[in-house]
Amino acid sequence: MVDFSLTEGDQRFLDLIQEEYELGRKFAREVDREAEHKPPVVKTLHPALEGKPDPYELLHESDEGTSGHIMVDALMHMVSAKDLDMRPEGLGFGSMVLEDFGTDEQKAKFGHLRLAIGLTEPGAGSDPGNMASTWRYDAATDEYVLNGEKVFISAINKLDGAVTLLRGVPDEQGRRVFSSFIITKDMKGFHEMQQFQKLGMHQFDIAGFTMDDIRVPAINRLEADFGRTMSRFNHNRPLVAAGALGLCRSMLDFTKAKLAEGGIEVDYARGVKARSAAEDKIIRMEALWEAAWGTVMEVKWKQTQLGTTSLGYRTEASMAKAIGGKAARQITQGCLELLGPEGLSEDYLAEKWFRDARIADIYEGAGEIQRILVARDVLGYKKGELN
Amino acid sequence: MISYELSEEQKIVRSTMSEFANTVLRPETRRLDDNSKIDDGVLSALWATEIIQSQADADGEGRSPVTNAIILEELAAADASLALAVASSMGFVQAIADQGSAKQRELLKAFAGPKFQAAAIAMMEPSFSFDVSKISAKASKAGDEYVLSGKKAYVPLASSCSHFLVIAESDGAADAFIVPRDAAGVKVEAPKGTLGLRALELAEVSFDGVKVPASMRLGEGNGADIQKIVDSARVGLASIMAGLSRGVLEYVVPYTKERIVHGTPLAQKQKVAFDIADMKIDIDAMRWMNWKAAWELESKLPATRTAQLAYTYASQQTMQIADNGLQAFGGHGFVKAHPIEMWYRNARSLSVLEGVAGV
Ligand SMILES: Cc1cc2nc3c(=O)[nH]c(=O)nc-3n(C[C@H](O)[C@H](O)[C@H](O)COP(=O)(O)OP(=O)(O)OC[C@H]3O[C@@H](n4cnc5c(N)ncnc54)[C@H](O)[C@@H]3O)c2cc1C
Repeated sequence: MVDFSLTEGDQRFLDLIQEEYELGRKFAREVDREAEHKPPVVKTLHPALEGKPDPYELLHESDEGTSGHIMVDALMHMVSAKDLDMRPEGLGFGSMVLEDFGTDEQKAKFGHLRLAIGLTEPGAGSDPGNMASTWRYDAATDEYVLNGEKVFISAINKLDGAVTLLRGVPDEQGRRVFSSFIITKDMKGFHEMQQFQKLGMHQFDIAGFTMDDIRVPAINRLEADFGRTMSRFNHNRPLVAAGALGLCRSMLDFTKAKLAEGGIEVDYARGVKARSAAEDKIIRMEALWEAAWGTVMEVKWKQTQLGTTSLGYRTEASMAKAIGGKAARQITQGCLELLGPEGLSEDYLAEKWFRDARIADIYEGAGEIQRILVARDVLGYKKGELN
Repeated sequence: MISYELSEEQKIVRSTMSEFANTVLRPETRRLDDNSKIDDGVLSALWATEIIQSQADADGEGRSPVTNAIILEELAAADASLALAVASSMGFVQAIADQGSAKQRELLKAFAGPKFQAAAIAMMEPSFSFDVSKISAKASKAGDEYVLSGKKAYVPLASSCSHFLVIAESDGAADAFIVPRDAAGVKVEAPKGTLGLRALELAEVSFDGVKVPASMRLGEGNGADIQKIVDSARVGLASIMAGLSRGVLEYVVPYTKERIVHGTPLAQKQKVAFDIADMKIDIDAMRWMNWKAAWELESKLPATRTAQLAYTYASQQTMQIADNGLQAFGGHGFVKAHPIEMWYRNARSLSVLEGVAGV
């Protein structure tokens, strides 16, 4: 049965996370101003959360009485803006790839590591085919030798290492085979670079690293080729959209509250000719928000049915990411337009949300890349027929 | 618990309606638009589906707005005018089944017959500043009756309607009155030619001092919740728009794959491919919004906000989808050899109507 009700269990988790996000909001401005100028520190539990259970941990321990943890996870991302990471860095994206595709032996050896995902290079982001970094096999020592540079790697300064996707040096047929490796920061030849200064998301660090003849044994090579490494995206892309929608929810609520103080209240009953331009704009932005919400929840429902490693929901995942990225841009831009000059002030978080939201349509596959994937599916085209 | 799972019955209804729409309705659409009339054969085929009749149960028992949203999308994927012909009578029947007194619901017995029974909600008015929140038609109470005056517009199949549910202002609030077409003072004008939805014979109906017994005020003594009628209409229209948009997408895909320009299929040009991706994304999003609003109606929850958002999104994106669809056909989109120009007209038409459907 089609159903959009939240269970009591769902609501309990939403309340918990909402409370945590609101606590974080008090420190948001300070962190936004300072994070990038302070040397990155290994993050510990924020004192404000002392003694409070981690809602995500609770959810994974027991999702009884809820719509299921995949669904609730997405709903939690959408309740409001997450301005601050207040808990120690969890397992990174790379750790999830290890979990999905590592052998038992690899999981036993590396499972405790917190691993970033290292894909992007200065000359290769959307197009991994352009990767210049390399791996080669050294038969003399039975080792793999890794070289090259990665950039924009999330949280690499706080994590233990990365799962990095590289291309082999050309084989006999001239092919450059993709392969993923587990590398750690203590390896000889690993050099972490300075973190990047950026438009927004200051609470969230990105940095690059170089690999200078890093030598790793065979056990560090994952049976995760390009497709497998990327398949985790199907789970994650809708969550990126969901996070952006959470931010937009805060932005819309703030904008509506401020307009209401000035006497502009949104009336959803009236038609288009009985409302002001400001009301109309809010309604159109909220409509886009709902459109994206429905799309995110549909793919999460499908993921629940099919299982996370299934490829059966990848087009829907791209659709969710594309509409979420669009919503993030249009809603934050539109709200600041409505808020006017007062919205530019650092006294409020609106200008921060405007800066933070912009990345949503870029990382984990930019909007254009998602549209290529959706269009290929609708049109029955393969890679090479539509790029 | 959030779920997008259709019931077995809904799956069957969807595939039956899809097949019916493609085989019976779709071949007729151009002809009906050209003739500006839905002929009896097509009306009978629509009636035989029993969609309208099945709405008549008291208090909406046994009726599912979610199922109706699915049905309207399927019908509209073939022809939006015909989907609206169904949704219009459906809106009338539902309003009375939902909000009518026992005596008023008796009227719905007439909908059990073998022939298409048109009836419509008369909401819109012939004014450039019309808004659902500003009704000009007036009903003033005089003893045991109301005297109704005003002019309504864009009433579907007006000349064949047995009844109108006329929305009029009474004592400072909107109210609804059941008025037989043959009551003294009711005048159905000749259908106006309209940009789109031509086969629906949209017409003005004037009410000139029409005497309506108080027993025909919807809900009798308590009056009716007009916003509920508006909400349901918005979801009905949004479902039809989702269907129309899907029809466009399904027509654009094969054409753009076959049409060669500058050495490659049109669909391999990113501008066109991205428009197609956006159509797919928006059509699905419209559907989920429609289901959510319909689910709220079905669960008897307040649905005004979600209905407004579903309607707003569908109105905006359907126009864009029809627009980009036409552009992808170039000159072939402008001529009548393809249905795109008709869908372009229908998209603009549907997205400005209010209060004329039910879900
Ligand atoms: C805050 C942040 C965190 C990040 N975290 C990580 C991380 O943890 N790990 C990691 O590996 N990377 C990470 N990235 C990198 C991110 O994934 C890339 O920036 C992104 O994939 C885009 O690649 P690019 O920057 O090289 O842009 P480009 O690939 O150069 O793209 C530039 C523009 O061209 C468009 N474009 C590209 N190809 C096409 C095409 N075929 N058709 C039409 N348009 C096209 C793109 O959509 C984009 O708009 C992060 C980036 C940021 C800013």
